[in-house]
Amino acid sequence: MMKLALSGLLLVLMVSGCGWNGTPSRHNDFTPLTSITIVAVSSTIAAHTSTTLKVTGNYSGLFTRDITEQAVWSCAAPAVASFVTPSAPNRVTGLAPGSATLTATVGTVSNTFTLTVSSATVTAMTITPAAPTIPKGLTSQFTVSGTFSDATTQDLTFDASWTSSDAAVATVSDVAGSKGLAQAVSVGSATISAAFGGSSASSLMTVSEAVLQSIAVSPAAPTVLSLSSRSFQATGSYSDGSTADITARVAWSSSRSDIAAIASSGTATTLVQGTTSISATLNGVSGATSLTVTGGNLTGIRLTPALPRLIKGTAGRMTATGTFSNGTTRDVSGVVGWTVSDAAVVTVSLPGGNLVWLKALAATPAAVPATITATSGALTTTASLTVADPLLQTLAISPTSLELTAGASDRFTVTASYSDGTTQNVTASADWTSNDTTIASVGTVDLDRGRVSSLAAGSATISAQYGGLTVTAPVTARTRTLLGVTITGSASVLSGNQAAYTATAQYYDGTTKDVTENAVWSVDNGNVAVLADRQHQPGQVVAVAAGTATLTASFGGMTQTATITVP
Amino acid sequence: MKRIVLTMIALGLPLVFGGPAMARHSGPYVGVFLGGSALLDARSTDSQGDFRLAFDPGLLGSAVAGWDFEPGNPVGEGRIELEYTHRGNSLDKVTFVDGGFKGDGSLSADSLLLNMFGVFRDGRSWAPYAGIGIGAARMEASGLKVTGQPLGSGTSVVFAYQVGTGIDVALTDMLSIDLGYRFLGTSRPKFTEANGQSFSIGYFSHSAVLGLRLGF
Repeated sequence: MMKLALSGLLLVLMVSGCGWNGTPSRHNDFTPLTSITIVAVSSTIAAHTSTTLKVTGNYSGLFTRDITEQAVWSCAAPAVASFVTPSAPNRVTGLAPGSATLTATVGTVSNTFTLTVSSATVTAMTITPAAPTIPKGLTSQFTVSGTFSDATTQDLTFDASWTSSDAAVATVSDVAGSKGLAQAVSVGSATISAAFGGSSASSLMTVSEAVLQSIAVSPAAPTVLSLSSRSFQATGSYSDGSTADITARVAWSSSRSDIAAIASSGTATTLVQGTTSISATLNGVSGATSLTVTGGNLTGIRLTPALPRLIKGTAGRMTATGTFSNGTTRDVSGVVGWTVSDAAVVTVSLPGGNLVWLKALAATPAAVPATITATSGALTTTASLTVADPLLQTLAISPTSLELTAGASDRFTVTASYSDGTTQNVTASADWTSNDTTIASVGTVDLDRGRVSSLAAGSATISAQYGGLTVTAPVTARTRTLLGVTITGSASVLSGNQAAYTATAQYYDGTTKDVTENAVWSVDNGNVAVLADRQHQPGQVVAVAAGTATLTASFGGMTQTATITVP
Repeated sequence: MKRIVLTMIALGLPLVFGGPAMARHSGPYVGVFLGGSALLDARSTDSQGDFRLAFDPGLLGSAVAGWDFEPGNPVGEGRIELEYTHRGNSLDKVTFVDGGFKGDGSLSADSLLLNMFGVFRDGRSWAPYAGIGIGAARMEASGLKVTGQPLGSGTSVVFAYQVGTGIDVALTDMLSIDLGYRFLGTSRPKFTEANGQSFSIGYFSHSAVLGLRLGF
C-alpha cells in the first residue's frame, strides 16, 4: 500500500503538465464566410498579357483568410479576357482590348472585379538578373518586365517565351508554373532570352563550378574509449549533386578539447569521459557529429615488469596497464608517453599497437639502474631497469620439437644462460631461420620472432642464432581436415575492461589446436567493443559502451562468432 | 470561481473545530465530496487537423463507498473505494490557425472509479494519503459552439484513470473530513461535429475536493 501511495504521488508530479500547448493546424470553417474581396496585381493589362487575382474571405467580420485556391472563376466577356491557364486558375489573360467583369465564387459567396484590357504594345523589355553567375547544379529565377506604349510597365515573366542559347550549359523553363527558372547544368556561359510581342531581352548567365553546400562527418556519433583515437572523415555535398572526400581540406575542431582533441588530419584523440562535438568547416560550410568518450578516466598506470632486467644487446617487452575511474583496467602501452633516463643505456621503440620494446644498449652501473617512465597527462609511473653484461654460455630452445598442422602456427622460445648464473628469454633478440620455407616459415620481426607457421606437410629444421651460438629444433607439419572453430571467453565485459578470447580449431582426427594467433578477428559494432590490438594482441577485446557486439574469428575458411555484452 | 471558493471555505470550517481522533476506523464507509474541476487545454483532432479547446473551471460532486483496512493488516494502511463523480465545465475558447474565438456549450464527465489509497498514519488526528484509481467515464459534449455556430456534440464512454492525494482529518471515530486533490485523465472521447465528421479531444482534469466520510 505504501509503494502504491508513493507511486500515486509521483504520478501527480508527472501528469501535471498534460495540457496541450501545441500549434493548431486546423482552420475555422465553423464560422460562416460572409464576404470575399478580390485584388489583382494590375487592374489594367495589355492585350495578350496576364495577371493573377487573389481572393480574401471575411468570416463574419471575425477574421480573414486567403481563399484564392477555393475560388471558382468566370468572366462575363470571354472575348476580352479569359481564365486559360489550368495550372493557375486565378490567372486571367487579356485577349482583346475592352473591359471584362470577372467573378469569383466561394461556396455561396461571390464578388466581382473589373479588368481592363488595353491596346498598348510592348516597346522595351528588361530581364533580371543581369549577367548572373550561378554555381553548377543551382537554379536562378529570371524575370522580365515590359514597358508599353502607354508608359505602363508590366511583369511579363509568365507571358514571355523563354529560351537558352546553350542547353548544355544552362536550361530555362518555358512551362507555365516555372517560366524563367534557369538551371545551371555545366560550367560555361549561355544567353537566357525572353521574347514577347516582337520584343525581347536577354541576360548572359555564367555557370561556375559547383559550390559546397553541406558537409557530412562520419562515423556518425561514435562511442570511443578514453585514451584512444578515432579517425573522422568529411564528405562534401556540392550543388551539382556530386560528393567528395574533403577530409584533408576542412578545418577540424572539437568543442571540448579537454575531452578529445582532433588533429588537422581528422584523427581525434580521446582524453577523458564525456561528450564533445566534432566539427568540420570549409568555406563557411560546417558539418558536425558528437563523439562520446567512455571507459572511465585514467587514475593510475602500472608497469610490467616493475623491475625489468635485461642483458646488454637484448630486447624485452614493457607493458603499461591503466587503471580507470570506473574500476576497469586495460593495456595503455600504445597511448602513454615513454621516456628513459639514459638513452645510451636503453631505448624505447613502439612498432605499433600496444607493443613496446626496451632495447638494452649498455650495462647500468652497479646500484644505478636506468629509469623507464610512462606518462599520461599528469600521471607518471616509473620502472627501474638493470642492464647486465655477463658472458653468454649456452642457448636452449624450447620445445625441442614441434608438430604443426598446416595452416596453423606455434612458437619456439630461446633461453640464454650466462656466466653470472642468470638466464634470459632472448627469443625476440635471436635471428631465426628455416631450412625449408616451403614446409615451415619462422617469423623474424618483433613478436613474430620464433613463431613457426606450417605451409605444407613435411619436415623442416628451425634455427635460432644469438650471440654466436646456434640452436636448432625439428618441425613436423601434417595436414589435417578442419572440422570447426570455437571461441571461448567472457560473454559479458564491463565498459573499459580488456578481455581475452581464444579460437580453437577442431580437426576430424579429434585433435584440437589453439589458433588464436592465426584467426582473423573482427567486431561488428565498434561503439560497443573494439579489438585491443589487431596485430599484437589477437583475440583481445576492449569493451567500449553498453550494448551487444558480435566477435568473429575466421580460420581455415571457417567462421565462428560469439556475442559480447557490455552491461 | 468565487462561488466555488466560498463553498469550499464553508465546508472546511469544521476543520477548525476538529478534535483529536478517537480510535482509527476500520470497515465500511460512505462519503460525499464537493469541489472544483479545472480542465487542461485540450487538443481536439479531426480529419482537417488539430485545434485547441479551453474550458472554464466548474463544479464537481462525488459519492464514495469503500472499506478502511484494519491497522496492521498485511496489505498496509489505507482504503479501497468505489467512486462516482460528476464534473461539468463550460467551453470558453476555441483556437484555430486563424486565432482564438469565443466558445459555448459544456463538457461533462460522469466517472466510476475503483480507488486505492495509502494512508500515512502516525498517531495524529490527521493523516496524509495518496493513491490511484481506474475505471470508466461517460463524457457528454452538449451544444459546443464557436462564434455562436454549432461545433459539435455527442456522448462517449472511455477508459479513465485518476491519481489523488490529500489529508484525512478525523472528527470522531466514524466521521472524518477529507481535503484532497484529484487528477483525472481519460482516453480520448469522440464526438460528432456539426458537419457530421468525427473529432476527438484530450481530457485531463485537476480537481480540489472537500468531503465527509462516515464509517459504520
